[in-house]
Amino acid sequence: MIGGSVIQDLRYTLRQLRKSPGFALTAIVTLALGIGANTAIFTLVKGILLRSLPVADPALLYRIGDTDNCCVNGGFVERNGDFDIFSYDLYLHLKKSAPEFEQLAAVQAGIWRYSVRRGEARGRELRGEWVSGNYFSTLGLGASMGRTMGESDDSENAAPVVVLSYRAWQNEFGADPSVVGSTISIQAHPFTVIGVAPAGFFGDRVTDTPADFWMPLSTEPYVREGQTAILHHPDSNWLYPIGRVRQGTNIAALQGKLTAALRQWLFTREAYTQHGGTAIISKQYVAIVPAGGGIQNLQQETGTGLKMLMILSSVVLLIACANIANLMLARSTARRSEIAVRMAMGAGRNRIIRQTLTESILLSCMGGLAGLGVAYAGSRTILALAFPDAPNLPVSASPSLMVLGFAFAVSLVTGILFGLAPAWFSLQAQPAEVLRGMNRSTRDSSGISQKALVVLQAMFSMVLLACAILMTRSLGNLENQNFGIVTSNRYVMHIDPAGAGYTPDRAPALYREIESRFSALPGVSHVALALYSPLEGDNWGECAMPQGHPVPRADENCNSTWDRVSTQFLQSIGVPMVRGRDFSDQDSATSQPVAIVNEAFVKRFYSQEDPIGKHFGIDDPKYSSAFEIVGVFRDFKMNNPREAVRPVYLRPLSQRFNRFAPPFISGEVQSMIVSSILIDFGSRQQNVDELLRRTLASVDPNLAVVDVHPFDRQVNDNFIQDRLLARLTTLFGVLALILASVGLYGVMSYFVVRRTNEIGIRMALGATRSGVMGIVLRGVAFQLALGLIIGIPVSLFAGHMLASQLYGISSYDPLAFAGATLVLALCGTAAGLLPARRAASIEPMQALRTE
Amino acid sequence: MNDKLIDIEDLTKVFYTDEVETHALSGIHLTISRGEYVAMSGPSGCGKSTLLSILGLLDTPTGGKYLLNNKPVENLSFSERSRIRNQEIGFIFQSFNLIGDLTVEENVELPLTYRAGMPSAERKKRVKEALERVNMAHRMRHYPAQLSGGQQQRVAVARALAGSPSILLADEPTGNLDSKNGEAVMHLLADLHREGSTICMVTHDPRFAKHAEREVHLFDGKVVSEQELQKLTAEVEA
Repeated sequence: MIGGSVIQDLRYTLRQLRKSPGFALTAIVTLALGIGANTAIFTLVKGILLRSLPVADPALLYRIGDTDNCCVNGGFVERNGDFDIFSYDLYLHLKKSAPEFEQLAAVQAGIWRYSVRRGEARGRELRGEWVSGNYFSTLGLGASMGRTMGESDDSENAAPVVVLSYRAWQNEFGADPSVVGSTISIQAHPFTVIGVAPAGFFGDRVTDTPADFWMPLSTEPYVREGQTAILHHPDSNWLYPIGRVRQGTNIAALQGKLTAALRQWLFTREAYTQHGGTAIISKQYVAIVPAGGGIQNLQQETGTGLKMLMILSSVVLLIACANIANLMLARSTARRSEIAVRMAMGAGRNRIIRQTLTESILLSCMGGLAGLGVAYAGSRTILALAFPDAPNLPVSASPSLMVLGFAFAVSLVTGILFGLAPAWFSLQAQPAEVLRGMNRSTRDSSGISQKALVVLQAMFSMVLLACAILMTRSLGNLENQNFGIVTSNRYVMHIDPAGAGYTPDRAPALYREIESRFSALPGVSHVALALYSPLEGDNWGECAMPQGHPVPRADENCNSTWDRVSTQFLQSIGVPMVRGRDFSDQDSATSQPVAIVNEAFVKRFYSQEDPIGKHFGIDDPKYSSAFEIVGVFRDFKMNNPREAVRPVYLRPLSQRFNRFAPPFISGEVQSMIVSSILIDFGSRQQNVDELLRRTLASVDPNLAVVDVHPFDRQVNDNFIQDRLLARLTTLFGVLALILASVGLYGVMSYFVVRRTNEIGIRMALGATRSGVMGIVLRGVAFQLALGLIIGIPVSLFAGHMLASQLYGISSYDPLAFAGATLVLALCGTAAGLLPARRAASIEPMQALRTE
Repeated sequence: MNDKLIDIEDLTKVFYTDEVETHALSGIHLTISRGEYVAMSGPSGCGKSTLLSILGLLDTPTGGKYLLNNKPVENLSFSERSRIRNQEIGFIFQSFNLIGDLTVEENVELPLTYRAGMPSAERKKRVKEALERVNMAHRMRHYPAQLSGGQQQRVAVARALAGSPSILLADEPTGNLDSKNGEAVMHLLADLHREGSTICMVTHDPRFAKHAEREVHLFDGKVVSEQELQKLTAEVEA
């Protein structure tokens, strides 16, 4: 029976909407924008933050360690004692100590690029990950073709094998079934492809650079030959353990047990006990966190921004709700007599509420349906803007069942939310009005509700506008800061010499050839090679130990960023020397190893002395005389542009410090293979990409080009997420402003229509047109002022919550708040002017005839 | 068995607006028996419509007793009053009060849709019968705006009849009609009364009041005799 009456209500509502297409369209578009924005953000939240790995029973997966500390570290990991990246030895120790894990696998912290070649085909840059042999069995996965690796594949004497991802098999190997069983070369080392992972499996983490293949840990020394391998260096931390716990395991107890096991192991290692480290070991602990969603790198990177966007889009939806509620309130007033008739016929309160809510929920569901289109387009655009050049990101913009459910739930809640005020107002109708007549009824209280809703909209708009201005100014500060480098007319080319078979011994000849060929290009001013270029996201760090200085305590921050570069590096990025000299040809393989340092390095380590001629080393006091400082260069941003400049030292590409013992020699040797070429053209050039690729091919056609791009784009890419956040916040702010202005316009227009008769009387009694305009504008000013009075403290609170996202600007920035106030006041006044002018143009005689 | 359908004693209604207290009804005593046709008349503002709205449970009295079908109804909750209105009372309004967005059929069906548990087939049957009773079955699919005033009022009568109420309350049912259509509606009510319906009609037109079996005169919120009414009216006019 209820179903029948619901259908009647629906039919009636549809008929009503057909009769008012303007209202229906406005409401649906407004709701589509509000619900669509929320669903778009939720699509990303679901795809990134709430996503489970496509593996068996992900709820039982736990990771030892909770934060990202990619990629290879030595010593204590975090200052607060949180130990979350482990060496192979330590992983084995933890595995042995925790039988509560049915299986415990180890995965490489970073997913690196390798040159992969099949047969005589050209090498391709694919991403690979070293994992323990029990990786697939821990995740409960079989192969879609061939087999996955097992424990036996992960042993010293086993033949090197590799498992391809389904996506890589399809995209890179043309879905050729014969690839299974065949041999491919990875960094010029043969591997047998034993199988293809299941379709849809993207690895152990949601990332924009998912693995294309997985290799057993035991092959790490095979690929990174000799001194550069770290598998058997107990103090090189580069693995994340992830495992499947037995049902009913007490995680807190397990965490305590593994913390004890960690400390016990650390006490056995000199690297951790020396220089006062023993006292710090007791502060070390491991966190055991659910890993059903995989390693949470991307989640930790984007989580705050996504949560912020979720809140901001909810505010936009609230403003949309207030707008529709206002429209519906106006309609409710017009339909008050109908409601009184229905009540007289015996309709109970529930039935009246149900009918009002039927209309609001039907509207919101229609808005939600249209919103799905907005959401799809929105999430696609956001993904494309947030993760450019990431075609393999395993996050889809297509709405999943959960997203559809979310959109439906939001539509339902939205419908109820904006239907509540009109429903409440409907209940104010009295059945006796049907006899007494509407004109003799109680005072119309909808006006107050409508004004309250406008105040609410103004308040929320103020919050969004203030946030938008804060974020935009912060982005401006980030982008326009002094990075200390010159980027114009400069290009960065990334290459992979190791993938083409170059070893540290063969590399110098290659570098000379590259410098020679690129320098000969017309217009080129400088060419430099570097292990990595500034602001590309890479960072090599070591503990710097100046000779003659006390040995840093184990908990003291002695970190310095370092890079290995060729002689023209500083010129190619426009950084001047401030003291001493730059590298030159006199810094050869056989001369005194030298280094040049930045001003921050001097400030940190030589604040009271002249650094020129001084010696320093890294990681161990016995190397403190390793490098002589020959020059100081001006500070520039090498790593995170949000942070202050770190201490940086540069070493010449021509020198290798061979006195390092393992494990330090590993990094030393590895750093001889550089990946960046910096080319300074001095002036604007055409078709640079093709020219540079052709030039490199002329050096060695087997050298794969990873990418080529302008240097300024590389710098700008650091702000992709900041830019996106600022743009979306601005978009939400503008949307809120438009909705609030439309809302204010609607309420004031309704006010004028309702009070036409009163205005006529006032004019008949002598009121001037400007006086009438004043009545309307005073109403506008009152609502705006109230919205601002409430909105400013709320905005200050919102700014405070945003503080972690801001750069170079206070969360209480007076300019942002003054700007938001001014914009809102201007738009509000503009929205009120039209109804005010209409009121002023009313003819008294005509108005007096109006009922 | 008591044959009184409506029995009210010492009924008062006071409206409070800001600082003004308006006594709309003062000490009304009235009974209406089953099958009776009563007309309530009096000058504008005498309290006719207020009394009718209390009789129809559209409003509550300030004081006094009101028995409907021998049950006290003066202090019922909103939902109980809604249920009784729906099942016991049929309304005919001066301005018809048909809902413009519903067809004739849907308008007549409206009170039945608020009656829990009535199957759709039963509703349709009753609607058809009611519309046939007022000769409007052929206009079932029309909207009110497509009908003349007289036709609209006949539909309103059908809507009042459809729920088989104990009493029909009509508020100036001819007020918005021309004399010809007004007469037609009065004949319709007379026919319904002959068939056993209890009717209470508010009118200020003595011609139409004569159609009723009994006339109740109101003046300044009190029930008065015809002679008293004439005297008081004359005094006011003087």
